[in-house]
Amino acid sequence: MASTALLRRLLTLPPLLRRSVYSSAATHNGASQPDTYDVVCIGGGPVGLSFVSALRSHPSTSALRVALIDSQDLSTARTTKDTETYSNRCSSLTPASLRFLKQIGAWEHAKRERAQPYHAMDVWDGVSGSKIHFDSVDQQQTGLLDAVAEMIPGSRSQASRRKYEVEDVGVATMCENANTTSALLQRLHELDEERSKDRLIFDMLEKTRVESIDLGPESKGEESLDLSQWPIVTTSHGRIAARLLVGADGANSPVRQFADIPSPGWDYNQHGVVATLDLDQQITAQNLRTAYQRFLPTGPVALLPLPGNKASLVWSTTPQHAAKLKTLSRPDFTAAVNAAFRLMPFDISYMLSPNSTTSPTDELTWRESATPAASTGVPRNFPRITSVQEGSIASFPLRMRHADTYTGHRIALIGDAAHTIHPLAGQGLNLGLADAESLAQRIAYGVDHGMDVGSCWTLDGYNSDRWAKNNAVIGVVDKLSKIYGFGSGPVVWGRSAGVEVLERLGTLKGWMMGAAAGVK
Amino acid sequence: MDIRTQMSQHTFRRLLALPQPLRLRTFSILNRPPPNYPGHVPLTLVERGALALGSAFGSLRNPHRHDLIAALGEATAKPYFIARLRAAMLANPTGRRILRDKPRITSQTMSLEKLRQLPENTVGRAYAAWLDREGVTPDTRDQVRYIDDPEEAYVMQRYRETHDFTHAITGLPVIIEGELAVKAFEFANTLLPMTALSLVAVVRLKAVERKRFFETYLPWAVGNGLKAEEVINVYWEEELETDVEVLRARLGIEIPPDLRETRKLLRDKNKAERAARDAKDRLGAGMGL
Repeated sequence: MASTALLRRLLTLPPLLRRSVYSSAATHNGASQPDTYDVVCIGGGPVGLSFVSALRSHPSTSALRVALIDSQDLSTARTTKDTETYSNRCSSLTPASLRFLKQIGAWEHAKRERAQPYHAMDVWDGVSGSKIHFDSVDQQQTGLLDAVAEMIPGSRSQASRRKYEVEDVGVATMCENANTTSALLQRLHELDEERSKDRLIFDMLEKTRVESIDLGPESKGEESLDLSQWPIVTTSHGRIAARLLVGADGANSPVRQFADIPSPGWDYNQHGVVATLDLDQQITAQNLRTAYQRFLPTGPVALLPLPGNKASLVWSTTPQHAAKLKTLSRPDFTAAVNAAFRLMPFDISYMLSPNSTTSPTDELTWRESATPAASTGVPRNFPRITSVQEGSIASFPLRMRHADTYTGHRIALIGDAAHTIHPLAGQGLNLGLADAESLAQRIAYGVDHGMDVGSCWTLDGYNSDRWAKNNAVIGVVDKLSKIYGFGSGPVVWGRSAGVEVLERLGTLKGWMMGAAAGVK
Repeated sequence: MDIRTQMSQHTFRRLLALPQPLRLRTFSILNRPPPNYPGHVPLTLVERGALALGSAFGSLRNPHRHDLIAALGEATAKPYFIARLRAAMLANPTGRRILRDKPRITSQTMSLEKLRQLPENTVGRAYAAWLDREGVTPDTRDQVRYIDDPEEAYVMQRYRETHDFTHAITGLPVIIEGELAVKAFEFANTLLPMTALSLVAVVRLKAVERKRFFETYLPWAVGNGLKAEEVINVYWEEELETDVEVLRARLGIEIPPDLRETRKLLRDKNKAERAARDAKDRLGAGMGL
């Protein structure tokens, strides 16, 4: 009787004192009682870090006790100072992702000179050559109403629009993953220092392996906590109980497996080959860069700009081609990449097949003289790749997975744990960052309205906000990769006709770019 | 409202602007683009259609007009069929070497005296023997003029120049029946539309010849053409000293019944029958029957 009354009085104390009393109560009961946190995030990649930064930056959630667990050493995630080399793991950040990173205060810590915004995108069909050009000009929709408004004497509609529009970031920004991660880590350290007296509130458990996740034991009586519905994370450093366990732990998420959430999908029988390349092209005065993508029947090949005369390559191709590409010497690899953009698809397949007898460099020289540029659709200002950075060639298998639901009781999934997508649209990390933003907002809403952050009252809003949107994007990207997998026949004609029509409809293109940019 | 109609008209016109391969007129006939190779004549879609129709009917009326047959081949090969044949050549290592070296078969490059001196069963000897038997030379092939891409033009030229080699290793003669059999074989093997269109000339055959064609030579042609390797990928200049049987086995071609022999036998049989009938009539007349 007296102990339950004491417990109830303890619960009404302010958070600071409450927790210090809890901790002492925990030590009284012995070391077997797990350490309790409000939010535990497993996974210290860009998505997990941005989620935790969002929680810590928002005034409603900054007082929650948060833990971040990662098996790697997070303090060494720094980019090199060398401006000549770039990591081969880069991501394209849409304007919506950049806005989120700016809001949580992380983007100012990123090395801006290592990020490259680009303003146009050239996408063309490798079989028929039909092309489509996306420009940020298309997004500025000047329709009938704006034209009429401008005609009214004394109207300031354009001037007022310019004042409220988001600063021009072009189509998207290429940024190395290490750059994003180090910016987020610096922001977290900065927030830690601001609130140094609340050191108990945020714990970054790096170099900590998660050994298992289970539900807590049955409660032993009325005094002790009933953790039987709480996930308990057993790590190499101890046990942690989570009011809400967030899985940001990648495609083979242990949190998702613990929650028994099925994640159906399929493997694409393609490998994504990445590399950092040196280009030979003129840089315009305003540094206007273009991203290029060509859809070959074996998979799309994309050239994404990096600062200076550099670019990042993402080439999705068959596992056999990927294996052959990784064995090529650096000049031969460069020739193969040039061929991927300039030659006919059967020439590229022959160059990478095991029974080709000549080197890719010779093949390129000969075949390029016999392939007129008009027949392949290569854009006029397409740069020539001069060399590939030493040690930057790598590959990874491509797959599509989508979890049936993102939430469970005291469980939430964000990032690659919830979905993996084909890289052809550069949406993987952006969907993950949008997930993190949405979940952080829902948790803030829950805290403001006195909800238990791990209950379905808080989490269902996240599921309904993100699941359908992610499903649509994953579905569209999957169908695009299938449509462009055909090398001949009526599908080629149909998709080329569609691309030609879309190229001429500026309004529809602008809408598509807006949807891809994720701007709300 | 004027702005709106202007804008929608502009959009409508832009939508209707077809991509280049489908446009009726990619250039004005008063301002033809420069040739891509010596002898090249760029044609608009209308001109190509007219050429195809005219040469089709012209060669049907007079099958000896080999220049019309050549023009028909070039007019109907684009856009897909000649590109498919070029891709088939590029997919094969020997075909790629042929496209890199671009060898030509003329009476200068193919010295017939040397070929006649080769051993009995070689490809070169068979080729020379066939040329002598039919009374043709390698120079009777027309230049390709109406195909725009230089590499595709070379593929067409190579097909034309190696047509005689196909005759030589199958032993089919130059008469219409033999040509039709070779064309049927080539259609099954290369998929060029001109070879299929030439088969319309079956209407010019006599009834006996037509029966023979449909019973024996067409099934042979289609079956062997589909089964065999692509004949366009054979580097004939290197195969001159190969044994013919070995080459046929490698390509997967069976030899058809010798057409000239068959015709000669039939002719002799008919002559003998007619002579016997005449003799009987004369005899009968003499006996007053």
